[in-house]
Order: sequence, then C-alpha cells, then structure tokens
Amino acid sequence: MMRRGLAILLWAAALTASLAAAQTLQVTPLSRDGRVLVSFKLADAFTGEIRAAIHSGLTISFVYRIDLKRSSALWLDSTIASAEITATVRYDNLTRRYQLTRMQDGRIESAKETEREEDAQAWLTADFDKLPLFSSAALEANSEYYVRVRAHTTPRNASFVWPWERHDVTGQAKFTFVQ
Amino acid sequence: MTTSVRDVRRPTLPARQPKAPPPPERRPFRDNPRLILLGIVLLFGALAAMIVLADQSTELNPDFLSEVVLYALSAADLTMVLALVFVLARNVVKLLVERRRGLPFSRFRAKLVLAMLGLTIIPSVLVLIVGGELIRSSTERWFSQPIDDVLRSANEIAVDYYRDRETVVANHAERIAGVVPAAAVEAGDIDAVRSALAPEVTQGRVGLVEVYRIQEGGAPTPLVAVESPSLPRGHVRASGAADRLAARVASGSPDRRVHEPLDGGGELVRAGAVLREAYTNRPVGVVIASDHLAGEFAEHSRRITEAYEQYRALAVLKRPLEGVYLSLFVMMTLMILVSATWMGLYLAKRITRPVQMLAAGAREIGAGRLDHRIEPETRDEFGSLVEAFNTMAGELAGSQRKLERSRLDLERKNQQLDERRRYIETVLERIATGVISLGADGRIGTINVAALRLLELDGAVVGARAEDVFAREDLRPLEALLKRMHPGAADPAAQEIALTREGRELHLATAATPLQGEEGEFTGSVLVFDDVTPLIRTQRVAAWRDVARRLAHEIKNPLTPIQLCAERMRRHFGGAPPAARALVEECTTTIVGEVESLKALVDEFAQFARMPAPRAVPSDLNAVLADTLALYKDLFHEVRIERRFADGLPAVRVDVEQIRRVVINLVDNAVEALGGSTAAARPSGESPTIVVETRQDAANGVVRVTVSDNGPGISAADRDKLFMPYYSTKRRGSGLGLAIVRRIIAEHGGNIEVTDNAPSGTIFTIELPV
Repeated sequence: MMRRGLAILLWAAALTASLAAAQTLQVTPLSRDGRVLVSFKLADAFTGEIRAAIHSGLTISFVYRIDLKRSSALWLDSTIASAEITATVRYDNLTRRYQLTRMQDGRIESAKETEREEDAQAWLTADFDKLPLFSSAALEANSEYYVRVRAHTTPRNASFVWPWERHDVTGQAKFTFVQ
Repeated sequence: MTTSVRDVRRPTLPARQPKAPPPPERRPFRDNPRLILLGIVLLFGALAAMIVLADQSTELNPDFLSEVVLYALSAADLTMVLALVFVLARNVVKLLVERRRGLPFSRFRAKLVLAMLGLTIIPSVLVLIVGGELIRSSTERWFSQPIDDVLRSANEIAVDYYRDRETVVANHAERIAGVVPAAAVEAGDIDAVRSALAPEVTQGRVGLVEVYRIQEGGAPTPLVAVESPSLPRGHVRASGAADRLAARVASGSPDRRVHEPLDGGGELVRAGAVLREAYTNRPVGVVIASDHLAGEFAEHSRRITEAYEQYRALAVLKRPLEGVYLSLFVMMTLMILVSATWMGLYLAKRITRPVQMLAAGAREIGAGRLDHRIEPETRDEFGSLVEAFNTMAGELAGSQRKLERSRLDLERKNQQLDERRRYIETVLERIATGVISLGADGRIGTINVAALRLLELDGAVVGARAEDVFAREDLRPLEALLKRMHPGAADPAAQEIALTREGRELHLATAATPLQGEEGEFTGSVLVFDDVTPLIRTQRVAAWRDVARRLAHEIKNPLTPIQLCAERMRRHFGGAPPAARALVEECTTTIVGEVESLKALVDEFAQFARMPAPRAVPSDLNAVLADTLALYKDLFHEVRIERRFADGLPAVRVDVEQIRRVVINLVDNAVEALGGSTAAARPSGESPTIVVETRQDAANGVVRVTVSDNGPGISAADRDKLFMPYYSTKRRGSGLGLAIVRRIIAEHGGNIEVTDNAPSGTIFTIELPV
C-alpha cells in the first residue's frame, strides 16, 4: 500500500517536471524612447491540465514576474527593476465564454470576454508585445542588461509531500542599452 | 550531588548555621497541572479547528487553498516532525548517556521509555498509513464516471438551452434589423422606429428591443427601446450592458451576445445586429434584442453549471485537496504522536524519577550526609515514599547528632582524663619519689624518672616482669618487699632498705601497696620509695651535735681542774730532786698538753654544736672565692691553685664567712692530700694542682663550685663516711671539717657531693641555689 502511494507521488512529480520542462518562454527586450519594452511569449503552456483547469470554471491566472537585471561577475546579478503581470481567465461553462483580465502590479489594465479558446490562450500566453514595463533612465549607456521572465500558474497543483516545489518557467534575453 | 532535587544541606554538627531561604523555583511545565490542562485544551482546540478546516476545505478559495493552507499545513507537519524527532532524539541520547554513565535505573527507564514509545508510535504509524490510504482512495471515489456523465449532461442541457435562447434572440435581432427602416434610424425618427418594433414586442417574440443610432465617426447612441410589460421594471436601462454590446456590435466584433443577470432574479439574454442602409450596406444603427429568462429557470441552470464546475474544479484541485486532507490527518497523527510520546516520556520520568531520587538520596545518606532531603514533587504514593524517606533521614540525623554529642562529651572527658593523666605523669616525673606500677601479672606498667634514677634502671624495664628486674643483687630487697605484700591487704607493706651506689649507701623508704578493683580483685600494685638518705644524714648530724654538746659539757668541765692540778703539782714538786722534778715536769707537761688538746677538741665540738644560722646576703661568689684563695698566695710553692671562674655569674645569697670557711676547708684538705709543702709531682707527671671552678646551671637554677685536685683520691669505702662527724682519714684530724662543710652547705639550701677526678684525685662539687 505504501509502495503504491510512493509510486503515485513519484509519477506525479515526474509528470509535472516534464511538463514544466516542455514549456518555453521567449523573451525579447527592446529599448526605445526612454523605456524598456518587453515582449514575451509562453509556448506550449496550454497543456491538457491547464485546459481542464480553465474549463472547470476555476479562475486561472498566469503570473509573469519580469526582472530587469544586470550581470555581475563577482556577485549576484543586480535587479534594476521588477514588474508583475497577471493574466486571468474565468470560463463560464453556461455561456461558454472566457472572461479575461490582465493586471500589472496589481492594477487591472484590461478585460474582455471571448468565446474563442484561441483568443483566451493568446490573452494568457502570447499577447505580451512590447510592454513598456521599465524606464531606461537608470541604465548605463552601452551596457549589457538582460530581462528575465518567470511564469507560473495559480492555483498551483501542489503536492502533499513537498508543496514548495515550484515549476516556474523561466526565460531571459540580453540586450545592450544604446543611448 | 543532587538528584534534580533541592539539596538541603546543613553544616555538620555541632554548629548549625542559619541558611538563607532558597529562591522559589519555577515549576517545570511537566509538573504544572494547569499548564498541562491548557495544553490538552489547546490540543483539542487544534484538532477541532482541523476538523472544521477539513470540512470547509472544498469551499475555500483555490488560491488560498493551494498557496496558503497547504503550505501552512505542510510547514506545521514538518515542524511537528522535527519536534517529534527532537524529542525522541533528545530522550534517546539522554538514555544512552545515562546508560553509559551507569546511572541507577537507566536500564529500567530505557526499557520503560521504549515500551511507551512503542505503544504510541507503532499504532500511530499504522493508523497514519491506513488513514492516508483511505483518504487517497476516498478522493479517488469522488470522481466516478456516472456522476461525471450526469453533471456533464445536465450542464450540456443548460448550455444548449442558453444557446438556443441566444440563437433565437440573435435571429430576432437580425430579423428586426432588417425590418426597422434604416432611414428612420439614421434620421432619428423615433416614432417610425417604435412603430416598426412594436409588433415584435407585442407579439411576444422578444421581451425588449433597443435601437442605437450610429452617427458618423461616433459611438452608437440609444435611440429607442420597446419593452414588454412582463420584464422587470426599472433596471433595463440601468445596467449599461446593452450599450457595451451595441458598441461591440458596431465595431464589427463577432461577439454579439451577452447574458445580463438581473437584481430581482433571472437574466436577460441579449443579442445584437447591425442595422444597415439597404443600398450602400452602411451601418446606421444597432439593434439589441433581449429576452428574459425567468429567475427560477436561470437559477436552476446556473446551479447545474455551478455543480458541474465544482465537480470539475474538484478534479483539478484534487491534489491540493488531497494534500490538505493528508496534511490535516498527518498533523492530527503527529499531534497525537507528539502528545503521546511526551506523555510516555513524562510517565516514564514520573515513575523512575522518584526512584532515582530515592536511590541518590540513599547514597547521600550512606555517604554520611544525613541532612540530604528530597523534595516531594507529587502527593501520590511516591510522594508518601519520599516523605517517609525524609522522615527516616531526619531521624537518622537526630540520632547522629545525639551520637555526635555523646562523642564530643566522651572526647571531652577523655581529654580531661588525658590531661589528668599527663598531669599525674608530670607530677610523677618531677617528684623525687620513685613510683613503679605493677600489673596483676607482675609486669612493670609504669616507672617514673625518679625510680629509674634511684634504682639505676632504664626505660626498657617497662613491660618486664618485676621479679626479673628486681633479681639484680642490689634490688633484691624490693623483690622481698613485693613478696611480703599481701594482695588482699588494704595497708601497704613498708620497709626501709639500703642500696649501695658507688660505695655509698642509699637509704630508701619503700612501700608496696596492692591495688584492688571495684570488686576487690587484685589488679596490681604500686611501689613507692623515697630517698631518705639526706634525712638519715641529718638525723645523724643532729645526733652528733647532741653528742658534741654533751661531750663539750661533760669533758670540758673537768679539764680545767685537771690542768690546774697538774700545774700545782709542777709547782709543788719544783723543789724536789731533779729526777723526781723531771718526772713530775714531764708528767704535768704531758697532762697540760693533753688537756689543751682535749680543750681544743671540745671547742671544735662546741663550735660544731653551736654553729649559727647563716646570714645570707646576695654576693659575688667569684669575688668571695678570689678573696679566699688569695690567702694561699705564696703559701705553697709546690702546689698550683688554678682558678676557673665563669663570667656573668649571678649573685648568690650566701653567708660570706661560712662559704669562705667551706672553701678553706676544702682547699686545706686538697693541699694536704697533695702533700702540702712537700708536695711532689704526680705519678702521671703532672704538677700538684688544685682547680677551683665556678659554673652556672641555669636549667636547674644552681651555681656549682668545684674544688678538685689530682691527688691520690678517696677510696670508695671512705667516701660515704667522709661527711660524718668524727671521721677523718688524717692522723690528726678531728673529723668535723667536712661535717661542718656539709652542714654549712645544707644550711644554704645547697648540696655537696664528692666524686673521683680523672685520672686521679677528688672533686668536691657544691651546688648553691640562685
């Protein structure tokens, strides 16, 4: 009995890890007009598990933590600025409509409804194009920086044994700030 | 030293010093019933909270459930596991250390703890395993295919109905958009539009129709609305949902349907259509058609969907929920386990601790620390046992104090006896009386210095049989005395015995006293003897003085008539024939001469008898001796008189004239012994020498004057009689010189002895007290 329970737990952990490994996060930073524009796209995130969760009527959020950082050879990389974007979907099983919301640092930026799953998927994972998240005023000219984006969904499908295990998807891209 | 108890030590007897009261100890948690009760209440409260939480878990916000509750429970579980491991590890280490140190009852306590831990841990772990599997299988059973099918079908029905209504309303909107004249809308002719809409509403096809006019470049604005009386009044225009839908439709969005819940129940199903100008197909307005879904129906549909969604959400949140249930169960198990473990350890300690305390207390008592006490921690049987132990220790301490007091009394008495014994010993050692104690077996127990000196024995005789010691020739009288002593007699056997010491007689007054025990048995005897030689001498001198006085009186009186008669006869026969005259002359001369001699002899006897008491004054003895010896200057050329006077001699109370007489007497004797004016060199080649020496003996408080010569000396037989009156070794001596010398010295409280000089000669030693 114990062996079976342990096997299930190991299987669940392995599956979760493989799913997380399959996802990729493409990040494209761009410096323009005194702002650092960040585009990113979470690929292969709409897994069956996510779809089932969305279609269960739960409010599912894709939380993106975006950090503007500078590499350091001697010490930990310094974080210049950070932002958090949350894309939320709530599927109404009665009307078959997706209610979508997007927040930046806790502020609701936009909301919409759609019947199309593709639109909801794009809203949650791909419609992040050239977001003016950071000011470039604090950046040094001709210096190299990078933008790191970490994404995870809530509610977490946490396990009992070790709920602190995180399967965040991370992507980052360097850019040289040219003034 | 203390067995985790308050060690109430007191100083050893007899002094008992006051001790400051110990600071109040804080009772440990395990011994505080209130805290234990509080802990039990908290435990049950936590268990109740867990039950409530588990009951409410499906209704919690999923984010809160998976982000907070599960994390918190897992953290709490881990903390409790760590606490349990810590408690177990701590106690296991303590048990191992106690066993390694060989503490008493450590093995028993280890077994007790292991038994109690086994009784709690094994069932708890089994329950945890079985319960966990039950929870897992229960969550699996939440999701069965029939329920899934039913919920899915019910939801499909509700969805299809909504879809149908949406489609119907959308078709109505499209149809109405074709019926309403575009020109009227564009022109804002409300009446024309209303008249075109009225049949749709009145015929009951839709409940509400709203027409928006799209002006060039602007947002659609409400133009006219026609509603059925069956619709809830008052809020249709208030929601704004139609405005937003109209805007969306006008923008060309394919999303042209919306459901609007109403406050009073029910929903409005809205659908929009673009109203176009017929020839140019230019949008001039938007038609929003709405149909009212009754509240009860909408509510049922929504419930069906909610049930379906809850079921689906449950499937999605299965892992976190399962985790929450398992965490709660693990937490409850851990709480019970920790509590049971702690209680087991506590009980083991409660059982073994008093026994350990008693054992440690017994060791302390055994080590003599009778003031050791154990503080009772409970009022149960163990507490009674501890009280009994303390009572026993108190009684032992009291008995020990009594014994200690008795010992101190005994010591004090022994000390007194010892002091008394030392005092008696000192007295016995110092007195001139010889004392010998004999045991019942006839062995010498003690003998004082005077006895050793008088009998010329050494300390080795202690323990020897008296008959062996007294078997020596000169001590046989003592043996005879002891034999004469009757063991049962109360009176001592006394006898005066005379011993010979270096040719001198030593007179001892001896007494042998038998010692008797309490029951009259013979326990030994004491032999006491005093040197009565000086007394006898004094008695003899007194006798001689009496004789001298009688002689002087009886002889001197007839001498003068005899002398006068002889002289008369000489004168009478002065005229007689020569022969007769010569005979008479010779006879009378002889008579007169002998009478003169007799007179001189009588005078000396008279002087000896009438010798006055000395008038002693502090005097410089060296000066007295020097003045006296000055008389002999150039008197005897053949005899050398040598002076050896000690420096710093203290003043001595003497009668100068009498001392001078003593010295003259002794020096005269010495000169005569050396041959006087005809003295010749000694056989050893030395010149005839007389040494007069003074010496101080501070230890005995006397000054010694010695007059020694290197003459022929005095035989041992004559030495003792030397100081007797009328004893002389000289042909013409009266025999009173040394008798007078001894008397003078005796009158000064001193003593005179005569010994042989080496290699020849005699030494007279005078001791005068300072």
